[in-house]
Amino acid sequence: MGNYLRNIWETITTMLTGMRVTFQHLWLIRRNNVTLQYPEERWPRPERDIGFDHSNYNVIRSRLHVDIDDCIGCLKCERACPVDCIKIDTVKVPNRGEDIHSIGHTGITANGTKKAMVVSRFDIDMSECCYCNLCVYPCPEECIYMTGGPNSEKHEIDYEFSQYDRNDLIFRFAKKVSDEEIESATSISSERES
Amino acid sequence: MGIVKGDQMVLNIGPQHPSTHGVLRLKVVTDGEIVSDIEPIIGYLHRCFEKHCENSTYEQVIPFTDRCDYIASMNNNFGYVVAMEKLMEIKVPDRVEYIRIIMAELNRIASHLLALGVYGLDVGAFTPFLYMFRDRERILDIFELTCGARLLYNYMWVGGVSHDLPVGFVETVYGFLDYFEPKLKEYNEILTYNKIFIERTADVGVLPPEVAISYGVSGPNLRGSGVKWDLRKDEPYSIYERFDFDVPIGEGTVGTTGDCWDRFYVRMLEMTESAKILRQALKDLPQDGDVHQAIPKKIRPPKGSIYQRTESPRGDLAYYIISDGSPQPYRLKMRSPAFTALSVLNEISRGWMLSDVIAILGSLDIVLGEIDR
Ligand code: SF4
Ligand code: SF4
Repeated sequence: MGNYLRNIWETITTMLTGMRVTFQHLWLIRRNNVTLQYPEERWPRPERDIGFDHSNYNVIRSRLHVDIDDCIGCLKCERACPVDCIKIDTVKVPNRGEDIHSIGHTGITANGTKKAMVVSRFDIDMSECCYCNLCVYPCPEECIYMTGGPNSEKHEIDYEFSQYDRNDLIFRFAKKVSDEEIESATSISSERES
Repeated sequence: MGIVKGDQMVLNIGPQHPSTHGVLRLKVVTDGEIVSDIEPIIGYLHRCFEKHCENSTYEQVIPFTDRCDYIASMNNNFGYVVAMEKLMEIKVPDRVEYIRIIMAELNRIASHLLALGVYGLDVGAFTPFLYMFRDRERILDIFELTCGARLLYNYMWVGGVSHDLPVGFVETVYGFLDYFEPKLKEYNEILTYNKIFIERTADVGVLPPEVAISYGVSGPNLRGSGVKWDLRKDEPYSIYERFDFDVPIGEGTVGTTGDCWDRFYVRMLEMTESAKILRQALKDLPQDGDVHQAIPKKIRPPKGSIYQRTESPRGDLAYYIISDGSPQPYRLKMRSPAFTALSVLNEISRGWMLSDVIAILGSLDIVLGEIDR
């Protein structure tokens, strides 16, 4: 009987202790509130100034972006990807570093490298991407990066991109030109060369 | 599973059930409310981790290790990179070692917070779960600040870490610790010493030390049974020998040694120890040193094999890597602590009520991503 009553007593006291903790939170609800009214309020993204002089440091992982004019088509990012969600096709150009205006191809990257390839297809399927960031590091031209990184002034931080159709998650970065156009453009310039 | 007798019934729990912590199916033979046999059926989350690794380069394996134990990804990365560095005989800079320890211990706290909070949920206490999740969120914020990802980090690389610490990181973690340590008292008040919670967990599902050892159970589950075995102490890897911390074990405070409450409480105490390690690591963290310095250009380990064990929040996590000298592993095997913990479930839950099985399963803290791989 004594044991029975003690159990009841302990249950009530420990429950009241728990209640005290919860009520403390209730009184301090304004100060200790951690819930965010999401679509109206947004969590601030962490400060990206990491204080080091590494241009390829990229802290936010939201969405991949490619500065296609700078891409030389070296396929390093494609090879680094563990899930093979980057698909790149390239066509050789006859003259390294020459602009081909008809398909909007610039010959020289921002870093000054002469391009030997026209990137005719650069697709990233963001629904397959596992956001591992492995493709960002090997790029010699630093042109593939997660938006919100060191180039955040160029792009809005886009961490909630969503689409109605899954196909819209395939981002096509290469300029839209058909194979024939590329063929004729590259052959024209090679004819001119000969 | 033997023959089901006339007055017995086979009951399926799962594969989709909130108490199974993932996609686990339990085939339970019950006699009324009393459980007479349990057969866990796994494999619903199998993603061919080990086979995938044979077709990936050594760098590409790291994102896959993240996805095994997705609650404690840092610790999974840690085990893999420690194994690889031993195989390739890389000496990593001190700063990297300290950063790794800080990340691993933060993730241990995060993982235990989730385990304990969800355990409260399993036995019917909703509020502690919310509080623990709130505090876990702070740790995830620290990770996001450091490497941009909240759950699957790909942070530790062979020979280094992917990002150096951001400015103000040390203060942020100190701030978190100052906030977190008093909270432990709050958790104890609201859940640990609650009489209803004790009644649900004390003396339930006792795992005797001999059974635990013979099944290969490790980590907090083993320590809950009173065996003082922690790889950080007994087989130090990385730089754990430099830190001063205790290995808490279960003592049967409110019941028998090795019951669910002990396994729960060991995790609670371990968070204090992790906080202790964190404080020491933050104090000694070297200020300079390039975190990318020791990363090899091409990861191409020599022919050979390595078996390296590390202490993940769930126990003895080991990688067995066979290299044939090519940039891809010939074979990669992961020894999962949650798998052995699940295998002991049948042994310790026979004879208990059905609702106790949920309590026992929760106390083992399994992660199905790691069991199925
Ligand atoms: S982030 Fe990872 S998964 Fe995504 S495209 Fe880059 S390498 Fe592939
Ligand atoms: S690594 Fe950079 S330059 Fe090379 S193909 Fe990829 S985006 Fe283009």
